[in-house]
Amino acid sequence: MELATEVAGITFKNPVLTASGTFGYGREAAELYDLSLLGGVMVKGVSREPWSGNPPIRIARAPGGMLNAIGLQNPGLEHFLTVDLPFLRDYDTKVIVNVVDHDEEGFLAVVRGVDGQRGVAAIELNISCPNVADGLLFSQDPDRAAGLVAKVRQATRLPLIVKISPNVTDPVGLGRACAQAGADALSAINTVLGMAIDVERRRPVIANRTGGLSGPAVKPVGLRIVYDLARALDIPVIGMGGIESGRDALEYLMAGARAVAVGTAVFRDPLAPPRIIGELERELEAAGFASVGEAWAAANPDARRRTQDA
Amino acid sequence: MRPQDVRVVERLQPAPDCVELVLEFPQDEEPEPGQFYMLSAGDGRDTYLPRPLSFFRTFSPRRMSFLFRVVGPGTAALGRLRPRDRLQAMGPLGHGFPLPERPLRAALVGGGVGVPPLWSLGRALRQRGCEVIALIGARTRFGLLGQAELQGLGIEVRTATDDGSRGHHGPVTDLLGETGADAVVACGPEPMLRAVQAFAERTRLQDTYLALEAAMACGYGVCLGCAVERKSPDPELGAYGTYARVCREGPVFRWDEVKL
Ligand SMILES: Cc1cc2nc3c(=O)[nH]c(=O)nc-3n(C[C@H](O)[C@H](O)[C@H](O)COP(=O)(O)OP(=O)(O)OC[C@H]3O[C@@H](n4cnc5c(N)ncnc54)[C@H](O)[C@@H]3O)c2cc1C
Ligand SMILES: Cc1cc2nc3c(=O)[nH]c(=O)nc-3n(C[C@H](O)[C@H](O)[C@H](O)COP(=O)(O)O)c2cc1C
Ligand code: FES
Repeated sequence: MELATEVAGITFKNPVLTASGTFGYGREAAELYDLSLLGGVMVKGVSREPWSGNPPIRIARAPGGMLNAIGLQNPGLEHFLTVDLPFLRDYDTKVIVNVVDHDEEGFLAVVRGVDGQRGVAAIELNISCPNVADGLLFSQDPDRAAGLVAKVRQATRLPLIVKISPNVTDPVGLGRACAQAGADALSAINTVLGMAIDVERRRPVIANRTGGLSGPAVKPVGLRIVYDLARALDIPVIGMGGIESGRDALEYLMAGARAVAVGTAVFRDPLAPPRIIGELERELEAAGFASVGEAWAAANPDARRRTQDA
Repeated sequence: MRPQDVRVVERLQPAPDCVELVLEFPQDEEPEPGQFYMLSAGDGRDTYLPRPLSFFRTFSPRRMSFLFRVVGPGTAALGRLRPRDRLQAMGPLGHGFPLPERPLRAALVGGGVGVPPLWSLGRALRQRGCEVIALIGARTRFGLLGQAELQGLGIEVRTATDDGSRGHHGPVTDLLGETGADAVVACGPEPMLRAVQAFAERTRLQDTYLALEAAMACGYGVCLGCAVERKSPDPELGAYGTYARVCREGPVFRWDEVKL
């Protein structure tokens, strides 16, 4: 079985990555298994300065998943470069740096800091975090998103992935604007804005009031958006949202994802990423595919047709 | 720490809304007092996330129990388990209580379902020749847990209830002053922990430790969901140091490390 897949010029040995914010910078999972098994690692969002994150309560349960409003607590660029990246660099896996900040200048500072560092395979621009005040600023307006992407494009030669929010009316329009501005790939989806109410305390469970929904509950939303993006755009998509089995991963590939990321599932099963790699191999075989490439967009004829025309 | 497939061997009901599950692990476990496990049961409807529980009693290297109050869907699903049912247990997790080098006089304060981590701690302290006294509090006498189990370790137990139906009528922390303890360890609801914190501040009893709870998603440090505010953050870390992870840096903190 050929599990290797290419996204934006990066060859992943298999299409299973870990999603940003559900894996820290890899240290904890490394106590459980060899990170070199993974196709790639998308690290927790990194901002220019250290961020405190939101006050607790940050987590609530939800049917088929959870809500979170962590608020991008992270140690900042310098700590990432001096402590976290050197740790990850020792593994034979592709490290994708999730970048976040309040404004263009902040994004650019992180991108410039990461650019040229050994062991960084790509940058993922997080313009889709629903849990910080200005997190969706760039997503709400495709022109604004394109403006940011164009500037980042100038600042680095690293492959550029833009993470798409499901909390917009037209994710394809947003994705198209990013592609035209120089994005090499898209990742989708980030969490879906939601809320939980605590009846006893008569207020929202989460201190930030709203939180992002993730886990199996959002899988249909993720599949729909990945399908639409792959159908309309030429750049590859990394699919995520509720993947907890090899079967789920295969569904994303067939919808049009070139690779997938596993997020919330690692809370329920810390070994989910390596497990899913094994399961995916068997699922591909059972479905009659000889490679990840064959499965790609197998359920999305428009996407396949477009690549053949091109 | 590792995820394991465990089996229910016994189910006890020490109080109307409380369950004690005795679980059999596939390998020998050596959790430290104060550490916890993430347990998964249920079909995923509001139980997608595992729930953190401290281990209570250990019976053999592969057998330990968990004592919990049914307060929502996660604990309800765990409470519905019966002998021979299987579930996932991830652990042991977090940092437990520091153990003293020399024998001392320790007071263990447990409110409601805060008692479980105190049993293994009490046993470890007794093995080190410490004098141990346990103060157990609850709303009513029906909520007093773990009394017989602690007494079984040779620990003196004093009780307090909010309604006066057993022992001291009032908060269990009222009993702290008369214990003459050199060290205090507390686990229970936040108002109780705050009272213990205030006691430590007043009496300058540095050896006071609190076992905290927090809403958790992962339990092993990757989600940053279980934040508790630090009292004196490391300036090196900048704003990032504002919060500590209850699941990794805790769940046990010294009284002056955290803001409650
Ligand atoms: C380290 C540690 C050790 C612990 N040890 C023990 C122990 O030994 N014994 C024990 O009994 N407990 C223990 N706990 C507490 C235990 O983990 C919780 O009681 C349990 O997680 C509750 O889950 P639940 O689904 O039953 O209840 P939930 O209803 O999920 O949570 C309980 C509370 O949170 C609120 N809440 C959370 N999310 C929502 C939502 N989406 N919608 C509405 N309300 C919500 C509810 O109002 C309720 O008061 C421990 C906790 C920690 C962190
Ligand atoms: C606790 C938590 C923290 C997250 N942090 C980030 C983050 O820092 N940056 C980001 O781009 N996405 C973040 N996400 C979103 C995930 O990467 C992923 O896009 C989303 O959760 C959907 O996938 P899932 O259902 O498999 O979790 C976070 C999600 C969760 C649950
Ligand atoms: S519960 Fe996930 S970091 Fe503590």
